[in-house]
Amino acid sequence: MVAELFQQYVGVVVATVAGFVLVGAALFANRLLAPRQATRAKGLTYECGMLPIGRGRLQIHFRYYLFAILFLVFDIEAVFLFPWALSFLDVGAMAFYEMLLFIIALGFGLYYAWRKGVLQWR
Amino acid sequence: MIPVQHFLLLGALLFSLGVYGVLSRRNAVLIILSVELMLQAVNINLVAFAVYLAPDEFVGLIFALFVIAVAAAEVGLALAIALRLFRNRTTANVDEVDSLRW
Amino acid sequence: MRWDWSLLAPEYLLAGWAALMALLGLWGRLRAYWLGYVAAAGALASAATSLIWLGDRTAFGDLLAVDHYTTFFRVTFGLIAASVCLISAGYVERFLRHHGEYYAILVVSVIGATYMAAAQELLSAYIALELLSFSLYVLASYAKMDLRSNEGGLKYMLLGAFSSALFLYGLGLIYAVTKTTHYQGIAEALAGDLGGTKGLALLGLSLIVVGLGFKVSAVPFHMWAPDAYEGAPLPVTAFISAISKAAGFALFLKLMVQAFLPLHDDWSPLLASLATVTMLLGNLVAVHQRNIKRLLAYSSIGQVGYLLAGIAALSPETANAASAVLLHLAGYVISNLAAFACVTVYYNWTGKEDIYEYRGLAERAPFVALALSISLFSLAGMPLFAGFVTKFVLFQAIAEADLLWLAAVAVFASFVSLYYYLMVMRQMYLVEPETRERLGVAWPEYGLVAVLVVAIFVVGLGPQPLFNAAQEAASLVYQGAATFAALSP
Repeated sequence: MVAELFQQYVGVVVATVAGFVLVGAALFANRLLAPRQATRAKGLTYECGMLPIGRGRLQIHFRYYLFAILFLVFDIEAVFLFPWALSFLDVGAMAFYEMLLFIIALGFGLYYAWRKGVLQWR
Repeated sequence: MIPVQHFLLLGALLFSLGVYGVLSRRNAVLIILSVELMLQAVNINLVAFAVYLAPDEFVGLIFALFVIAVAAAEVGLALAIALRLFRNRTTANVDEVDSLRW
Repeated sequence: MRWDWSLLAPEYLLAGWAALMALLGLWGRLRAYWLGYVAAAGALASAATSLIWLGDRTAFGDLLAVDHYTTFFRVTFGLIAASVCLISAGYVERFLRHHGEYYAILVVSVIGATYMAAAQELLSAYIALELLSFSLYVLASYAKMDLRSNEGGLKYMLLGAFSSALFLYGLGLIYAVTKTTHYQGIAEALAGDLGGTKGLALLGLSLIVVGLGFKVSAVPFHMWAPDAYEGAPLPVTAFISAISKAAGFALFLKLMVQAFLPLHDDWSPLLASLATVTMLLGNLVAVHQRNIKRLLAYSSIGQVGYLLAGIAALSPETANAASAVLLHLAGYVISNLAAFACVTVYYNWTGKEDIYEYRGLAERAPFVALALSISLFSLAGMPLFAGFVTKFVLFQAIAEADLLWLAAVAVFASFVSLYYYLMVMRQMYLVEPETRERLGVAWPEYGLVAVLVVAIFVVGLGPQPLFNAAQEAASLVYQGAATFAALSP
């Protein structure tokens, strides 16, 4: 069964291999044909335009992650809202109050985070 | 229609990748990423089972929905703890934190 | 199907109480010390509320059973949480920040633990498991400026997330084989002809066992436990050692009896071997420990080994092993909490947690030394104390299930454990103290310790009431599985 399963993918494998060969050949040809001269100007981030200031790697501020985590949680909890929105008319009043309770619980979390000063950019 | 085995194989591959990642990576954030991979593999399985094996029930789909939400909470929590460690120690590599030894 | 929301009243109470704790923390007018007492009152109130359904046998819409088993664990978890809140009161005020949140998370985790015991269905069980685990991750890393707490919490979190992913994959496979997530439906499907899918079912089952093995820290999967125990703040260590084990086994036992009993012949040897290594390694490694938290961590791993042996001894015919597991769980929880209460009291005085720092404690604080000795004797399973009765019943059940060799290993492991418990007592009673200065008296903590010590003796001398409760709870789990018995050949 597994062998049969793989047989259906022979086309995909051929295309993948061909793709790799093509790209590899192009890169190899480039290496053969193009002239190479290492100068300082070539090593710059932008060959034309403004000179870059400082390091290329930027350290993101610690605070940013707190927002990211908070956003992540609230964002994903919305996953429950979509099926609810599609079906709460059929399920009845209970579904409405349950979701209300859920949102109140989430809201309480947000209120707590706010009062604890997480939302402040210090 | 695509046979269910394809999904199972995809799920198993993804899951194995996740397990490999957890066992081989040293950076806490990368381990969390690998765990996420495992959870998504479970989701693929659950949705495939729900659609192919029990099409009139939604148990598998609901299960997947809850797994998504739990996974998000898990990432948030793990990142917060990893950040704490990073703040106090300036490393997120698991093998460099070794103040606890048996 | 009945959706009777009032059945969940104890958990509403807990959820409301958690919100109250968080708000009290924000408000900041109440002294942090009293927050512990408020939280303990909530946990006790919830345990008392659960007694309304004493003797009932209903379920919340097929998802959560409300019966003797649930009540047994509601009361157990409520009492655990209340004791830990009381242990925390002094410690949290002095060593931690964000007090209200601490108690809020602690109270919320009880909801997760309760639903793990009450769940009749895999999805509810999974969510309850995660609710408990997440709360414990946060609590374990609660001392946020302390590197050891961060580290223990991170290891706990990473391995916990990994194990729950394994557990979940197992659940998915079981769902694929049986097309249902209800325990009874699973048992019915597994009792029938599985054909070619039996391998898949066994794979799913072993992944579930591995996942739960991580949660209760059975041996090949125990690596997180000592680090998390040592790193976590002391009351949290007490809490993890009591509630994660109790809730883990509540779920484990119910799952094995109600869903997987048809595959009993396949998983029993697996669990017996897990139990053997857990008992031996946990107790042997404990001998080398210098830190009292790590010592108690390894000793609790040893206790998990006995409980696993009890699960391996489950049989389709009798509920003896199941009730013995419940009984030993209760005995272990009481003794362990008493030990941790003493350790916390000493830490509050001196900030020390190495075993040699306990030298001469009998002279400096006789009550604490005596109480700690009693709880350690009980953990070791000496006669007169709770540990003896519960271990005796458990080992007897194991031996009756034709696992005599396993019972022998358990007895051997108990003797090893006696050795390292005695080492702690030697420090307290026989070694000269550094100074002869008496340590103060911590009345509230002393009260709690006294209650726990009395409980140890009550269970040790008159175990009948607890035994009856455990037996009724266990027999109910079996009645839940009875539908399968009619089906199996």
